[in-house]
Amino acid sequence: MATDGATAWSFGRIVRSQLLISVAAVLVAGLVGLGLIFSMHVSVSDAVAAFIDGTIGSPYSLAASINRSIAFGLVGIGFVFANRANLVNVGGEGQIAVGGIAATAVALYGGVQDLPFGLAFLLPLLAAVAAGAIWGAIAAVLKIKAGTNEVISTLLLSFIAVWLLYWTVQSEHLLRKPMTSSATLPESLEIPDTTKLPLLTGDYSFPLHIGLPITIVIAIVVGVVLARTLFGLQLRTVGLNPVAATRAGISYARTVLISLAVAGALGGLAGGFMLLGEQYVLKDGFSSGYGFDGLVAGLLARGSIVGVIAAALLFGFLRSGGINMEMVAAVPTALVMVIQGLIVITLAGAAFFLERQRA
Amino acid sequence: MRLEVLAVFLGSSVRLATPLLLAGVGELVSERAGVLNMSVEGMMLTGAFAAAVGAWATGVPLAGLAIGILAVVPVALVQAVLSNTLRANQIVTGIGINILVLGATTLGYRELIGERSRTEIPGLSLWSPPGLGQIPVFGDAVFQQVWLLYAGIVIIVLTALVLRYTGIGIAIHAAGAEPRAVDKSGLSVAFIRYCCVLFTGFMSSLGGAFLSIGDIHTFTEGMTRGAGYLAIASVIFGKWKIGGTILACLLFGAATALQFQLPTLGIDIPNAFLIMLPYLLALLAVGGLTGRQTAPRALGEPFRR
Repeated sequence: MATDGATAWSFGRIVRSQLLISVAAVLVAGLVGLGLIFSMHVSVSDAVAAFIDGTIGSPYSLAASINRSIAFGLVGIGFVFANRANLVNVGGEGQIAVGGIAATAVALYGGVQDLPFGLAFLLPLLAAVAAGAIWGAIAAVLKIKAGTNEVISTLLLSFIAVWLLYWTVQSEHLLRKPMTSSATLPESLEIPDTTKLPLLTGDYSFPLHIGLPITIVIAIVVGVVLARTLFGLQLRTVGLNPVAATRAGISYARTVLISLAVAGALGGLAGGFMLLGEQYVLKDGFSSGYGFDGLVAGLLARGSIVGVIAAALLFGFLRSGGINMEMVAAVPTALVMVIQGLIVITLAGAAFFLERQRA
Repeated sequence: MRLEVLAVFLGSSVRLATPLLLAGVGELVSERAGVLNMSVEGMMLTGAFAAAVGAWATGVPLAGLAIGILAVVPVALVQAVLSNTLRANQIVTGIGINILVLGATTLGYRELIGERSRTEIPGLSLWSPPGLGQIPVFGDAVFQQVWLLYAGIVIIVLTALVLRYTGIGIAIHAAGAEPRAVDKSGLSVAFIRYCCVLFTGFMSSLGGAFLSIGDIHTFTEGMTRGAGYLAIASVIFGKWKIGGTILACLLFGAATALQFQLPTLGIDIPNAFLIMLPYLLALLAVGGLTGRQTAPRALGEPFRR
């Protein structure tokens, strides 16, 4: 009994210190950010006001922040899923991009706009999921067949996807809208209204869409699968020791394929949500670094779904606030990248002290 | 006429490959010792930025280059401390550093140079080796390059010799393959890895400086645009051998040069495809064109005594 008490106590201490370190890292990075704003001869109070205004200042900015967090969260959850099998999916950016391409293509040219029962937006969404899954599966196949490290293959696939997207919006034979004048922008047509994701409140001043409940369900399902099912155990076994897992009858190839495809599918879904729920038009720079933010959210969560959600919300609000700061207070959004980078580096370094404490 | 086009193509291939070559060989040394620096991208960007600011502020390109090299030291030290002493996940730290550097250099650029972006930054001068430079047609187009390229070739040759023929080379190789044995033999794995990461930083800063004050004589936000990741891919493509890495960098350089050459030949291939080509080639390469991969056994694993 005494030992039980001791482990419970130290477990509590670890949880508390992990939370403490995370909060401290965010605070320190935030202070550095304030210092930088100060040194740029910009009024700190104006900048902070603009930041807060951009995050929770209006129903619109609140919903926009949450929609961002959804994209980060999905990529992060996918990362944690694959990482359970010791796979590192760095390809969120590309998976978002192919998801956006597929969703646009089906919404505009798939003949889905008059379909009943919400199929008009569900089919483009499914296309986005499938495209992301395929993009993730390519890395899995390369790993199984050639032993290619998935870090580098998913990263390269991201660059390829981003330029693929650029290609599709540059070429009239692909997704670019018909050129009526030389001023026609290199972007797709706007998707039909029926293919846009329904808003939860039906009110455009609070544009939270059905992506939020879907993401919550996915978070719960993935959490349960990882923690409570045989498949979750198989993933962990392959992650810890592929040889032992194979001896125990778990197919290594199948596990790698499924985990990277699921991670990719979630990235594709994020891209689908971004296009069908917010942007409605595909243009160059569509993925705008969301894949990397989502990846970082997944990395920092250290395997915990709750951690992903916390990090995704943090980054979502940081980004929204940063964008408003640039528009209103003339503080470049690059400042937010500095803060984000500092948080990542601090937390990565702090893991050492946490583990030593645990040992 | 055809020959002239070929000469220009060769020359620009080498020029575009140079930043990758410098950073790729730097990264190779780290990876041999067991450290995966995803932060090559950030190190290159730091070098590019600091060299540009230095050259602009002092008016002396060489001073800019020196400032570029010095500015990378703290970045490389952060990477080294995190991935060795603190045994942090090397991918997380690398990506964290890249985000931080992208943000910091963008901020710095806007604060320092922003409004004066039209002013040309003094750059490193061109040089062509005596003899080679006099070859008709090819001489100027191929061999007249920024002198940093030739300095880089010297450093790369020296690196190859050290890796192959000296005890240092063996120690680096062993730190990546059997760190425990290195430790037992009385050498410090951490020390070897620290030195290698600093060397990667040095080479990456040269690569970055080549981009800003060597090639285009200006700095633009996020100007490395994934060159650091291509450098990492070239190491894998080259199977962790220096010759292979160099070939891979030249191939990526040639693929990039096609972007500018094909349109002049009247060949109509979508620009996006050509920009994508180096990444596509890199993917095909790491995806088995070069056969099964033989990474250093302890690559990416922090060493615990």
